[in-house]
Amino acid sequence: MKIVVTVKLVPDTNATKRIDPSTKRLVRTGLETVLNPYDEYALEAALQLKEKIGGDTTVTVFSMVPETGKEIVRKALAMGADDAVMLSDPALEGSDVWGTAVAMAAALKNIGFDLVICGGLADDGSTGGVPGALAEYLGVPGVTNARHLDITGDALKAQRETDSGYQVVNVTLPALVSVTMAVGEPRYPSLKGIMGAKKKSIVAMTAGELELDGKVGASGAKTELLEAAAPAARAKGQIVTADDGASGAKIIFDFLKEKKLV
Amino acid sequence: MRNVIVYVEHKAGQTRKVTFELATEARRLADALGGKAHAVALGAGAKSIAETLKNYPLDTIHVNEDGEVDSYLLDPTIDYMEALAKSVDSAVVLLPNTMLGRDVAGRLAARLDAGMNSDVTDIRPEAGRVGCIAPKLGGAQITTCAFKEGAQFGVVTVRPNSFAAQAGGSGAQIVELAKPAGKTYRMSIETEVEEASGEMGLEEAPAVVAGGRGLGGPEPFETLLRPLANALGGTVGASRAAADAGWVPYSLQIGQTGKTVSPNLYIAAGISGAIQHKVGMQTAKTIVAINRDASVPIGEFADLLVVGDAFAILPELTKLVQEARAHA
Ligand SMILES: Cc1cc2nc3c(=O)[nH]c(=O)nc-3n(C[C@H](O)[C@H](O)[C@H](O)COP(=O)(O)OP(=O)(O)OC[C@H]3O[C@@H](n4cnc5c(N)ncnc54)[C@H](O)[C@@H]3O)c2cc1C
Ligand SMILES: Cc1cc2nc3c(=O)[nH]c(=O)nc-3n(C[C@H](O)[C@H](O)[C@H](O)COP(=O)(O)OP(=O)(O)OC[C@H]3O[C@@H](n4cnc5c(N)ncnc54)[C@H](O)[C@@H]3O)c2cc1C
Repeated sequence: MKIVVTVKLVPDTNATKRIDPSTKRLVRTGLETVLNPYDEYALEAALQLKEKIGGDTTVTVFSMVPETGKEIVRKALAMGADDAVMLSDPALEGSDVWGTAVAMAAALKNIGFDLVICGGLADDGSTGGVPGALAEYLGVPGVTNARHLDITGDALKAQRETDSGYQVVNVTLPALVSVTMAVGEPRYPSLKGIMGAKKKSIVAMTAGELELDGKVGASGAKTELLEAAAPAARAKGQIVTADDGASGAKIIFDFLKEKKLV
Repeated sequence: MRNVIVYVEHKAGQTRKVTFELATEARRLADALGGKAHAVALGAGAKSIAETLKNYPLDTIHVNEDGEVDSYLLDPTIDYMEALAKSVDSAVVLLPNTMLGRDVAGRLAARLDAGMNSDVTDIRPEAGRVGCIAPKLGGAQITTCAFKEGAQFGVVTVRPNSFAAQAGGSGAQIVELAKPAGKTYRMSIETEVEEASGEMGLEEAPAVVAGGRGLGGPEPFETLLRPLANALGGTVGASRAAADAGWVPYSLQIGQTGKTVSPNLYIAAGISGAIQHKVGMQTAKTIVAINRDASVPIGEFADLLVVGDAFAILPELTKLVQEARAHA
């Protein structure tokens, strides 16, 4: 069984982020970047499945990322993935969800898979649109927000979270799933994993190999960023110390009344 | 892009407030673009929700109570939506930015080869183009993104509580939407389990009372937070520390890897306000925090931080709110 996990490079949550006013793109120089937190859960889910299924199951990491983003792929390898494919090409910069899904689908068809596992949401664009769009372009069933996966032969049974609980869903492979954090805390790369990752293969792929017909990059996009600006900072409010429960409650109640919230 | 279509998220005819917000916004947008405002409700209960929606300023409400919509994952829904978008032509599709709405949006955008703008908090139609305002990068940047000139379709997910719902209007026509022909589906739903049925509306609740590690266990969520949330007409949320500890289901988690909420009032009890929590609630109109420690990060952005014991304050506050409501 061949499992492919998609991983994205994103700015660290704590980093100061800005968008270049002329290119309308995220300024990535000098920005601390990390493996998208959700994708660590996707990788964890894949590694758990590999341990459960055994046999010749492999876990491949796939990322559409500039060559400079290699460290996140290395981290995924150190966590336990077997090998990696990086789709890197200046032509891909500025792609929107649509172009990203088109390019990723072309690459994944090329790589081949039984199961694709995605994170639920990327920390920068955060549309959550890629997994569904990717399933469409791959022509395979797509199960989003899975918190538990079980595979018997080519039958996949998933627990899929909903706003009020979960659904048990049955699918035949090949398929695509995206996962939530409830699949389990991602493992840390071990020292052995970090050393071993250096010897694992990272295949480089370019846009030219994929016949993307001008669908990628800013020029191929269906959407266009017109403006970006930092929001007005939230003013620091009042800090009041309460002597006891009743006085604390009174402070809040009076405040809510003044704001017409009660 | 002229016509507007609202996707109606509902469960057996029970919908969310955001549906009415979208129905109202659809009218404004359609008028600005010189088109019509449509809505579509699918699956069991579609007709009853359509009757309710007639009170909103839509032109046409498309329905089909097809059981396949409820028994299979999204495939039948996407087939219906694709067919409708193509038949009403040149459309902007509005969906709620909820788990389900985002799912439908990504699939539909791909099916229509359309652009997608997500978690949108305002829409500005200008010169026939649709500009979408959305906080991105964890709220660090407010972006305006438009569909390219000449794009036939555009898919937009809207953050709940971004538009005011306003009933009234023309008395929409309800029409049956034909079932797309010749489809078979490869995913099926075996069972559906309800774990926290009251929580359907966390993302659009007008008030959220959230608890964190400082509450020390699962009980206070029911005995301290729930009664206050009820009194405020809102619902209960949590930090990741509380979800990780198993005190509440992950579906209540607010933040970077949880839900994004924009209520009128957010009360955080025993939550420190880590950046990953902040990005999920910083657009709340008013933020009140209760914390034992005066130097917590949440004090930097809360409108009011009361330094004290949540266990002592919450029951008293609930009493005051209940009394005020009884006299209102
Ligand atoms: C600030 C900002 C705002 C943006 N707004 C929009 C917008 O409104 N509309 C639009 O069309 N585009 C937008 N984009 C572009 C968009 O982020 C990219 O096209 C992106 O690759 C798709 O992203 P997402 O971040 O929404 O991914 P999501 O759909 O949130 O990601 C879900 C999962 O898909 C996988 N995945 C996503 N991208 C990759 C990748 N490059 N390589 C490997 N796996 C991946 C990961 O597993 C991830 O967890 C925006 C980008 C930025 C930086
Ligand atoms: C990749 C990643 C993603 C994450 N995503 C999220 C997310 O989506 N949402 C999220 O919330 N976190 C997220 N986190 C975790 C986040 O960094 C914090 O660890 C978490 O928010 C802390 O939760 P807390 O405030 O409940 O707990 P703590 O930080 O432990 O704070 C507890 C607070 O309770 C106070 N307290 C204790 N007793 C009382 C009392 N009796 N009365 C009043 N106050 C009291 C304490 O003073 C303290 O301030 C994420 C972290 C990572 C690395």
